[in-house]
Amino acid sequence: MTIGSSHLPEERCADQRLYLLLDGDEASPEFQQAAAHVESCAACRDRLTELSGDHDHWQTQRELLTPIADDQPDTGQFYRYRSTETIFAQRRSIDETMVKQMLTAPSHPEMLGRLGRYEVERIIGVGGMGIVLKGFDTELNRPVAIKLLAPHLSRIGAARQRFAREARAAAAVVHEHVVSIHNVESNHANPFLVMQYIPGESLQARVDRGGPLSVSEILRIGVQSASGLAAAHAQGLVHRDVKPANILLENDVDRAYLTDFGLARASDDASLTYTGIVSGTPHYMSPEQADGRALDQRSDLFSLGSVLYFMATGHPPFRAERPMAVLKRTCHDPHRPAWESNAEIPDELSDIIDRLLEKQPERRFATALELQKKLERVLSDLQQGKLRLSRRGKSNRTWWIAAIGLCETALLAGVGYVWMTSAPKQEPPTPIAMPPASTQSVESIQARLQSLEGPQQADLDRLQYELITLEVTPFPEADLKEPTNAQE
Amino acid sequence: MEAWDAFVEIYEPLLFRLARSKGFQQADAEDFVQEVLTAVAKAVGRWVETEDRGTFRAWLFRIAQNLAINFMTRPKHQRLGSGDSQIAGLLAQHPDPHGESTQLFSLEYRRELFRWAAEQVRLKVSERQWRLFWMTSIDNQPIAQVAAEFGLSVGSVYIARSRITKRIRETIQTLEEQAR
Repeated sequence: MTIGSSHLPEERCADQRLYLLLDGDEASPEFQQAAAHVESCAACRDRLTELSGDHDHWQTQRELLTPIADDQPDTGQFYRYRSTETIFAQRRSIDETMVKQMLTAPSHPEMLGRLGRYEVERIIGVGGMGIVLKGFDTELNRPVAIKLLAPHLSRIGAARQRFAREARAAAAVVHEHVVSIHNVESNHANPFLVMQYIPGESLQARVDRGGPLSVSEILRIGVQSASGLAAAHAQGLVHRDVKPANILLENDVDRAYLTDFGLARASDDASLTYTGIVSGTPHYMSPEQADGRALDQRSDLFSLGSVLYFMATGHPPFRAERPMAVLKRTCHDPHRPAWESNAEIPDELSDIIDRLLEKQPERRFATALELQKKLERVLSDLQQGKLRLSRRGKSNRTWWIAAIGLCETALLAGVGYVWMTSAPKQEPPTPIAMPPASTQSVESIQARLQSLEGPQQADLDRLQYELITLEVTPFPEADLKEPTNAQE
Repeated sequence: MEAWDAFVEIYEPLLFRLARSKGFQQADAEDFVQEVLTAVAKAVGRWVETEDRGTFRAWLFRIAQNLAINFMTRPKHQRLGSGDSQIAGLLAQHPDPHGESTQLFSLEYRRELFRWAAEQVRLKVSERQWRLFWMTSIDNQPIAQVAAEFGLSVGSVYIARSRITKRIRETIQTLEEQAR
């Protein structure tokens, strides 16, 4: 901290430092310095206001956001004339109306419609590229997933051709961790491809629902995804869109599947043709992809590194408000190591992620196979109890102390989080009140502890004791929020 | 498809409010919303067949605007009905840009744009920060007073409200660039 008389006022009042306050990471020392300066400089406070939006914007914002009719005054809660559930149900019915335009009449009244020999049952999801449907193959008598090219892409010649070409290439990849492609219908008015139906959820949904995964799950899913990727790379394919939403986890079976090979390409064409339609999330793109440079298979390794990071921390490595800003950060900013966000992550895993997230492709692993081998080794070390918690973490704590720290964080973070929610595992905000250690929360902590690797039975017993003491300690009333589940 | 989601999120409450301002009862207003959105969904196939069609998002926002304004300028509330030709007629009609309904529509559209953006941003910030922003920027309470009430420094209130304002502005900007 060397701010002092040596700094010229112009320097301290530079717009650049104010932009940092508007967009930067609140935990960074630069942010704190700039914030301290703004405290004593009225000119900078005015300038900060101006940089966030001009006078007209502030004025319009006030006029248009001021509560009207049935809005809740004071809180900024807008009146919505029906519940979220009804809105979603309604939206679904509107989506269905749109999809029905692309199908022929169904042969059963409870079905949505028909596409050739496939009966369409329902919409599974709506994504940037198209619509995924659950269907049934009437000839082979099996459930299938059908991906329909979005109507606004289906008339673009280049998009259609790419869709067909890439789908055929992807169909050539046959692997236990890649969703198989059964059929490609490219001559249909709305091109579609038919895939193996995987009952389950995407990795994105899993983490959104349950928060970061355990180290063994991260490694297992990592190994399987890397092996699927290696199989595709062996066919000369680059996936281009490795992201949590494209990794499917089968129900009740510990198996992950990669999906959506090469389809990202077809959408690239569309965005070139129709500027403005940029689909999908940029969070898992590699720097070379963000820059529009030539890609090879190592680009997928970067993306898989971002996925590992996401499993470990619950969020992608580079975050920002706008897609362009995410891409900029991907290209220029270093990421925060995974172990800093999640003390459970062992150095070995954190290092693998760091290496995958190297900006220069040549500094990453050379192949997906190499990554797979490396992850397998760490997984086997973990299973043999050879892994330890990050030594770079909180000094030389032993396993169970760190685990207790974890449940403390869980409890503290539950206290009405105070500042920006973007940094989940930083110092817990000033607690207002301790939440009640409800049975439910204790159970969830226990469940989490069970799933952690490392501690011996004696440690667990000791923890159990700690938790019992916690449970009987009276706490004042407060809302308990799971820190990992800030979504809803 | 994201274009479609943002569209529905903005238009649903907008259409409802427009209908209410035209003196519709709650239930009629809800029907109106459903009818217009369904009509637009059905018209998506038509966009695909248009030669000079521009971006999907721009088209979507334009036809919905035409549909809503034309609907409002009709003398009496008539059901839109399911006839495709009827919808096609409403879509093709170009509303008078200076008409009263057009003016009302653009004000209410802008209002909904801000409200939609505010809701997006609100999901991403803490409740406390939102309160700081709301009290000082919308309710117009003196910053020093709000800071004291929350036990915060004046500077941190400035930072919170500016951060949120910038995010709201950028959210609107991104959508407008894409709907152009």
